[in-house]
Amino acid sequence: MNVLKVSRWTIAAFVLPCLIFYAGLVFVPVLVSVYSSLLDWNGIGESRFVGIDNYIRLFTADPVFWPSVRRTLVLAVLSMGLQLPFALFVAILLNRFIRRPNFLVSSYFLPVILSVVIIGQLWKTIYNPTSLGGMLNQLLTAIGAGDLTRAWLTDPDVAIYAIYFVALWQYIGYHVLIQFTGIRNIPADIYEAARIDGAEGLKADRYITLPLIVPIFKISMVLAFIGSLQSFDLIMVMTGGGPAHATDVISTHMYNMSFLSMKYGYGSAIAVFLVGLCLVATLAINFLFGKLDKRYS
Amino acid sequence: MLLLLAVLLVTQLYPLLWLFAYSLKTNEEILSGSFFSLPSAAQWSNFADAIEAGNYFRYLGNSLLVTSLTMAGVILLSSLAAFAITRFRWKGGQLVMLVFLVGMMIPMQATLLPLMVVFKHAGILNTHLSLILPYIAFQMPISVFILSGFMRTIPHEIEESAVVDGAGVFRIFRSIILPISVPPLMTVCILTFINIWNEYILAATFVSAERLKTLPFGVYSFVSQYSANYGAIGAYLVLGAAPVILIYFLLAERITKGMVAGAVKG
Repeated sequence: MNVLKVSRWTIAAFVLPCLIFYAGLVFVPVLVSVYSSLLDWNGIGESRFVGIDNYIRLFTADPVFWPSVRRTLVLAVLSMGLQLPFALFVAILLNRFIRRPNFLVSSYFLPVILSVVIIGQLWKTIYNPTSLGGMLNQLLTAIGAGDLTRAWLTDPDVAIYAIYFVALWQYIGYHVLIQFTGIRNIPADIYEAARIDGAEGLKADRYITLPLIVPIFKISMVLAFIGSLQSFDLIMVMTGGGPAHATDVISTHMYNMSFLSMKYGYGSAIAVFLVGLCLVATLAINFLFGKLDKRYS
Repeated sequence: MLLLLAVLLVTQLYPLLWLFAYSLKTNEEILSGSFFSLPSAAQWSNFADAIEAGNYFRYLGNSLLVTSLTMAGVILLSSLAAFAITRFRWKGGQLVMLVFLVGMMIPMQATLLPLMVVFKHAGILNTHLSLILPYIAFQMPISVFILSGFMRTIPHEIEESAVVDGAGVFRIFRSIILPISVPPLMTVCILTFINIWNEYILAATFVSAERLKTLPFGVYSFVSQYSANYGAIGAYLVLGAAPVILIYFLLAERITKGMVAGAVKG
């Protein structure tokens, strides 16, 4: 029960600055986007109301749009299907076999806090052709797999996978950290009781850690999914969506349309689609895990 | 099993160490070298080149300015709101939280275009303000969640006795609640620092004047301008990463805790 009984004006003085500021810079722009997605507008000159034309064109006549949606979703699936289970596995190992795991956890985490510009440029350098001193190609040559060397970021067939790898690489430490902290917070007496009942080691992990980590795993899922939908700056830094749109995702497509092709209305339509997708996805994940929670409790 | 942990350590750290070695090499060593070679003589001149030609300290200063002003704004606004949500007797608190919850799902990129148009009309495009304002806004939800999560746990007897002693609402906020809330405020500072210090897209879109750019953009433009001076590029990347890595060395525990708190509350 909150005790402070104050006047409306006092409440307003405390809450409104924050709320107005936030609404003005986040909600209003999104609403403006919804409106301008109905326009044919280059951002400067006259705008023309065209209804849902932009959306029709986006969904039916844009050769770049659906592939970029697919790439965005593939990244999300890879992140949730490979990166997260792997991170959970690593977290379990750390917890079970390492006496002082903090050093390892903080080392895994280090790439997370670096700017994507630095990460992107670092990996661009690593992916460089051998003639430019690229580490990956040098490594492949050194282990006798010279035929695998290629121009990782300019070959349209592999460029997007090279980027997926960097995205998964950068954030794996984040998910290891989250899962690890989650496991640490499971009360020790549960494991104690299980040991008396004969469940030890990885068996205990199977029957105790996995069910009890579900809520934390859900958080990782939401973060990974939303993070993948919003994946943007890394691709802008590494390829800008090229070569020939081979690495475009939803948000880079939006950016290129709005700021390079100056199709503000069309870009806004993509932005609105992205916002909608994020909202639906978050609700869907929460709903699914809500069902899962019920089944286990 | 343990091998897996060791391999992961190598994949996560080796690229960074490789970059450091790279930044100390000559162009010839980089172009001909193998993937694990060390420089024969450390070329510290790469760093001198990067600092001088890349205007490192100017970008660093801009980043410091933008990040610290953003932090101040975030702390001021979000602590006021969190205080009202958790300590006042009114019904709107949940609603305000809901607004932030919905807002958290909105990707920053979706606001780029309209904000750009608005800022242009307001005449603040191409100033630091055009970065600081949206930065504060986007850090707000997580900060309010963290702060109100903490403030909710402060016992109400504290305020009751303060009211008996004649303290006003603002006095209670400033002299009692804020000092108690220093730990979560630190968490908010850390999250803000990491996110804003590294932000690139807004910084590249809203600010075009070279002298106002922040560090990530400095890195980007240096790399594109000096594309043939590999060692200096490496040096600039190292310099770009240095402030964050330095702080991480000092505060690793706090930072990892803060990031987990940010993830769990969010």
